[in-house]
Amino acid sequence: MLQPIAQNLVFGILVGALYGLAAVGLALVFGVTKFLNVAHGELLMLGGYASFWLFSLWRVDPFLSLPLAIVSLLVVGAVLYKLLFGRMVKLAEGAKIQNTLLVGFGLGLILQNLALRFWTADTRSITTFYSGAVWTILGVRLPVVRVASMGIAFVLIVALQLFLRRTYTGKALRATVENWEAATLMGIDIQKVYLLSFVIGSALAGVAGSLVSVGYSIDPTMGMSWTLKSLVVMVLGGLGSLTGTFVGGLILGVTEAATGYFFSLTYREVVGLVLFLLVLIFRPQGLFGAKEG
Amino acid sequence: MLEINGINAYYGDLQALWGISMQVNEGELVALIGPNGAGKTTTLRVITGLLKPASGSVQFHSQPLDKIAAHKIVELGISQVPEGGSVFTGMSVLENLELGAFVANARKVKDQSLKWVYQIFPRLEERKNQRAGTLSGGERQMLAIGRALMSKPKLLMLDEPSFGLAPILVQQMFEMIKEINRQGVTILLVEQNVRAALELAHRAFVIENGRIAGQGAGENLLSFESVRSAYLA
Amino acid sequence: MSVKQIIFIILVIAILALIPVAIKKDNIINLAVYVLLYVSLSSSWNILGGYTGQTNLGHAAFFGLGNLATRFLWLSGWPLFPSLLAGGLLAVVFALLIGIPAFRLRGVYFAIGTLALSQILYITVGNTLPMISSLPAQDLAVYQLAPRYYLFLGVALLTIGTAYVLVNSRLGLGIMAVREEEDAAESLGISALRHKLLALTASAFFGGLTGGAFAFYHVGYYPQLAFGPEWTFDSMMMAYIGGVGTIIGPIIGAVFFVILREILVLKLAEMHLIVFGVLFILVVLFLPGGFVGTWGRIRKALARRSAQPEPRALPSNGRVDSIVDPLAQDEKRRLPIK
Repeated sequence: MLQPIAQNLVFGILVGALYGLAAVGLALVFGVTKFLNVAHGELLMLGGYASFWLFSLWRVDPFLSLPLAIVSLLVVGAVLYKLLFGRMVKLAEGAKIQNTLLVGFGLGLILQNLALRFWTADTRSITTFYSGAVWTILGVRLPVVRVASMGIAFVLIVALQLFLRRTYTGKALRATVENWEAATLMGIDIQKVYLLSFVIGSALAGVAGSLVSVGYSIDPTMGMSWTLKSLVVMVLGGLGSLTGTFVGGLILGVTEAATGYFFSLTYREVVGLVLFLLVLIFRPQGLFGAKEG
Repeated sequence: MLEINGINAYYGDLQALWGISMQVNEGELVALIGPNGAGKTTTLRVITGLLKPASGSVQFHSQPLDKIAAHKIVELGISQVPEGGSVFTGMSVLENLELGAFVANARKVKDQSLKWVYQIFPRLEERKNQRAGTLSGGERQMLAIGRALMSKPKLLMLDEPSFGLAPILVQQMFEMIKEINRQGVTILLVEQNVRAALELAHRAFVIENGRIAGQGAGENLLSFESVRSAYLA
Repeated sequence: MSVKQIIFIILVIAILALIPVAIKKDNIINLAVYVLLYVSLSSSWNILGGYTGQTNLGHAAFFGLGNLATRFLWLSGWPLFPSLLAGGLLAVVFALLIGIPAFRLRGVYFAIGTLALSQILYITVGNTLPMISSLPAQDLAVYQLAPRYYLFLGVALLTIGTAYVLVNSRLGLGIMAVREEEDAAESLGISALRHKLLALTASAFFGGLTGGAFAFYHVGYYPQLAFGPEWTFDSMMMAYIGGVGTIIGPIIGAVFFVILREILVLKLAEMHLIVFGVLFILVVLFLPGGFVGTWGRIRKALARRSAQPEPRALPSNGRVDSIVDPLAQDEKRRLPIK
């Protein structure tokens, strides 16, 4: 009796880890640069396709190709920054958020349609020899691939936190978030900080996409729904807390699973959005963020 | 050491500085005094490159600063403590200080610099793992100055370090500033607290309405309205 | 408006009215229908998004609701015009219901919130009404394109006309004041919320009306179709590329979009979206004001060549308005980055 509930919850947590990973990427970018890159989901999609083609064409194992996915998204992120987003650095904050939203939206459209054009609308997925492997604990099935994905997501988040807390560059990033003028006076190059954040954020999206391609499935139009999920999680977790954002991802995953089980699949898809709106209106600082002083 | 000539600066279409000229010599403690809104902070921002002037020049050790990006100024040896201190409240005291030594040269000697700063501001060492946001106003100001010192500046610019501090703390603050100057750091002090600034400084420039109204030392400046009113107040 | 302009407009309307009479080719009329549809949709978006500065990413919700209501009522036997009206009103009711909480969200949160809302509707309708809505056989037999065309023409004219009147009224001034500097407007006694709600109402009503016209036009489709985000995004892009915050901008954008789509659909379907996406980004980054703004700048540049020195410009307010005001300055808040 309990098993289906537990099973659903477990699946929710497993996918929630990927929601969290993607959202942390977006939150990092937004927190530092105040760019709202709504093409974030398309970057995730690109990461997924990178892994997919590496596997389909050259039989590269998707977990082994993760570093490649990271590198390629780092490059893509840098190019996009230099070409597009970097030009908006000098805007006042309100206009910056607005304009990056618009540019991101146009970019997402372009990327989505290019993907449709070149890779067709077919849904793709990576199936390896171990794709069917499942651990069973207390009657609950745990697909190995998805558990590994969650592990990787977790490791990346921890690594990111260590980077931000322990390294000079990471601290420079945090300082820039707090007060970019004071940071400049310390010798911190804001342009570089912005670029770095954007690039890391893009790479995280790419990794999430790769993990989605092997544990779930990808298609060219997945971008918007993943962008929305990332936004939902970002708002749920509260800006300013990356760990909170990751936990927000888990919460979304579990909430979706529970809604799907107790209500229906329709509601499962919209519960995230509804939650999002409720949080925006009633608790804008998110579940973990600090109230604005 | 620092030479400013004929600076005209604008915020949008609004002119804030009119032909500002000043000099600061090595080892001096120079004050820039004037009433609220006279353009003191603006002058500092022009020096550090946060605001580009429409005309005029700023030279440091005869090197013009106008082509240099704002974040490179500190590498030249100019450090600024902005108004209100601007410490990074979400980070610890130690992290703030470490960030002060961000530039490569300063990073190498970070531990030495830390010792030096702790010597001047023992309170900071006591609180080194505390979040900067939990410090009192006076402590934050100390932290801001300490942080600026971590880059081993040749010229330290302070924007109203006494602002909002209780009188006894103001006294202490200026003692520490004097000490820093004594240890060899040239200081440009921007202050509204005219009395204290004049007691401290070798020389002072008076700025009113975006223009340098005059310069001199101590009592010689009593002829200026703004200076006089500070003493009569 | 000068007499010349009024005569010009009347001529244009007359020509548009004669199209179904003069041209008997259905595919051309269909093209024209889509142009008119997008003109209405884009103009109605522009009322809230362009003039009031509230970027609404959920405009498709109005289109979809109007479509749903009109289709349902009309196929149930209601006469056409009440059905259309009901569609528009449903959209308005929905808009007002969500408008009051939604407008508490500033800036980008409003944009994303509206997107979330319209996606909720899209997914819900898709799951609860998965069956095709088809015109019954007897209606199919007497289906005529011309009335549909005229309906869309009417809706388009109504939308543009209302937008024009609104913008040139005192309310219009208030709306634009809210767009520029909401807090300042409030301090002048302009209720930001009321003006936003007013713009929202107009935007929703005409979006819904357009959706209703679409219900009358389309033969068989999934109800979910009208809620698709592409309706919002296409409308928004058209407004920007044509010139957001102007009357004629959405019109230019709509014509351009449909024609481009027609040209490119022969080579590669959906390529027009890529072209549009690129143009859109170019407009946002480099050519604020779209066609209208750029044309204005060209004219100014040409005029300056042959003219006396211009009077000294008024001080700018220091804000960046690249989205709506092509000539705004942004000195105050520039970061010191080379």
